[in-house]
Amino acid sequence: MGKLDRSHFIEAGVWSLFFIIFFIASFEFNQPIEIYKFGATGWPRTILLLLLLVMFGNLIYAYYQGHALQQGRVGIADDEAEKTSYDGGTFLRVVTALGVPFLYAISLKPVGFYAATPFFIAAIAFIFGERKLKNIILVTLSIYLIIMIIFMVILNAPLPQGNTSPFYDFSAFMLRMNTKWQQLDLW
Amino acid sequence: MLENFIAGSAALFGDPFTIAIFVFGVIGGMLFGAIPGVSMLTLAAILLPFTSDLDPAQGVMLFAVIYCTGTYGGAITAILFNIPGAPENAPTAFDGYPMTKQGRAGKAVGAAVLCSAIGGISSALVMMAATEPLAKWAIRNIGPPEIFALVFFGLAVASSVGGRTIWKGWLSVLLGLMVATIGQDPVGGIERYNFGFADLAAGIAFVPAILGFFAVSEIFVQAEKKVTGKYDAPPVGMSFPTILELWRYKIAVLRSILVGFFCGILPGIGATLAAFMGYGEAVRWSKDKKSFGKGNLEGVISSETANNAATGAAMIPLLALGLPGGALTAMMVAVFQMHDLEPGPLVFYNSPDLIWIVFAAMFYANLSILIIGVMETKTIMYLLKVPFQFLAPMILLLASIGSYIGRGLVLDVVVMFVAGILGFLLRRSGYSIPGIVLGIILGKIGEQNFAQGMQMVHYDLVTYFSRPICSLLILAGVLTLGFSIYQAIQGIKQKSPAS
Repeated sequence: MGKLDRSHFIEAGVWSLFFIIFFIASFEFNQPIEIYKFGATGWPRTILLLLLLVMFGNLIYAYYQGHALQQGRVGIADDEAEKTSYDGGTFLRVVTALGVPFLYAISLKPVGFYAATPFFIAAIAFIFGERKLKNIILVTLSIYLIIMIIFMVILNAPLPQGNTSPFYDFSAFMLRMNTKWQQLDLW
Repeated sequence: MLENFIAGSAALFGDPFTIAIFVFGVIGGMLFGAIPGVSMLTLAAILLPFTSDLDPAQGVMLFAVIYCTGTYGGAITAILFNIPGAPENAPTAFDGYPMTKQGRAGKAVGAAVLCSAIGGISSALVMMAATEPLAKWAIRNIGPPEIFALVFFGLAVASSVGGRTIWKGWLSVLLGLMVATIGQDPVGGIERYNFGFADLAAGIAFVPAILGFFAVSEIFVQAEKKVTGKYDAPPVGMSFPTILELWRYKIAVLRSILVGFFCGILPGIGATLAAFMGYGEAVRWSKDKKSFGKGNLEGVISSETANNAATGAAMIPLLALGLPGGALTAMMVAVFQMHDLEPGPLVFYNSPDLIWIVFAAMFYANLSILIIGVMETKTIMYLLKVPFQFLAPMILLLASIGSYIGRGLVLDVVVMFVAGILGFLLRRSGYSIPGIVLGIILGKIGEQNFAQGMQMVHYDLVTYFSRPICSLLILAGVLTLGFSIYQAIQGIKQKSPAS
């Protein structure tokens, strides 16, 4: 098997799966366009075909050279070459660090920005190493206040309000407060 | 020209209210450009309704000033936090952020300030001298085939930079191109790859994708270092580059001005491809190619000069032909229309005062980057002293808001975090994040112009390649790809692999 190892097979598997999913899905919009000979599928299928060819090239390279950096490559940041292996506990902490922002994004629709954000700030500060409760509370309040002043009060930016009670009610309360504040016409 | 410029300057600085609008545009553009995701476009969109109360010259001038300073503003966060304020600042982060990690943030930011100003001023001067003839040349010679050819060349260059192997460089670009196909096909409007999500019909917006691949993935990399105990706070380096130091890069600056100006003239291409091409050309001509991506000052200089050089050039098709080259110039068309004016050749004869106030304002806006930029930068660099556990939630929140407010879709925030996780994993596996991002940005433009070009020549390749600029750019792209293929074969044969 040359210098191939498990990670190369996983990598090739992921690309193959990507190719299969997108190729099969392309049949859903395989309709002719009267004014354009190549239709809606011409461009994506060409890219997919190229992707498959390059994936094989990548595999052949790995067969001969394994994980070696190709000579003469430019523009590669140092940290891109770094690889860290970790034990079970560390792995779980890394997954948590990656998962919490994703959960926050998903929660924006039901919970809304106004209610979810303080918990998100506190969670990130904790995950990234802050252990003093006083600091976490102070930082959460400060960042929340700054964000609210910039985006809600000054810019009036429409932020997700949530669609479930009591979070929606909380968002409505915040917006009512902002309206009252704006009506004071301090400027 | 000089008389007109003096008259424009006098009109600009002769009225206190116009001066106030100019200063507001300069500072607002810099600040909004520096807030990730909340770019100069956000500011322009907020201000658009208020321009109806201004004189036409004041309204257009305000937008032109925001365009100049906003393009520079995004470089600061790109350098300090690996968060490009706008797509055109993405290549600035390639070398700017490694410089910050090495404690050379001051040098990178100083170079960005100076080169943005040089690029912008040169572009403004050429714009003043040659708007009409250049616009006439562009309309005769540049069409969809040329724009597609430029996109092809740009992607060929992008695939050769970044990625541990050429194969991974290509895979990255192709992944970006595939992501760009999500949404609707540009000819028939047929929905593609929506996978049952109605919100995906609008496609993947590139602002969340860029914020995810750059900013969020960087936060994740730092989080991993925190968790594994390998995190080191970047040292804060306040020393600015000396004139002598920057003089060494005069050729890179000149080259980037030319690249930026050429890309800026092309409708729809603008500053983003200019910055990528400027960076790519810097790598191509450098004797020390391996240092790129690791903190080479030339990378910052090339990218920032090119994107600001594109700002003046982008005004040429707008003012002379009425063709907006991007989102901000499209908003300028709206400002014209709100005052019953139409940008185009006639505006030079009907409203010469307006044109020269705008030209003068763009010149002075670029000049003020030099003065205000240095003062602003010294303040912003103190942000690096904030502990990372407090900085990270702030950055993630700004990125989330920036992703959301563009289209008001929670899906964009999800896309941003998915891109962040993907970026984190792909960086570890040696893929090229810039390649993916450029693929996403240029994918739609490329497909649209390919389709239009093919329709124009009735699918006749001989006619397609008989257009000189098109065939020249395609040839340059093919040569770049050919060299990459040669490198790929050599890579497979290489005997003593680098670790």
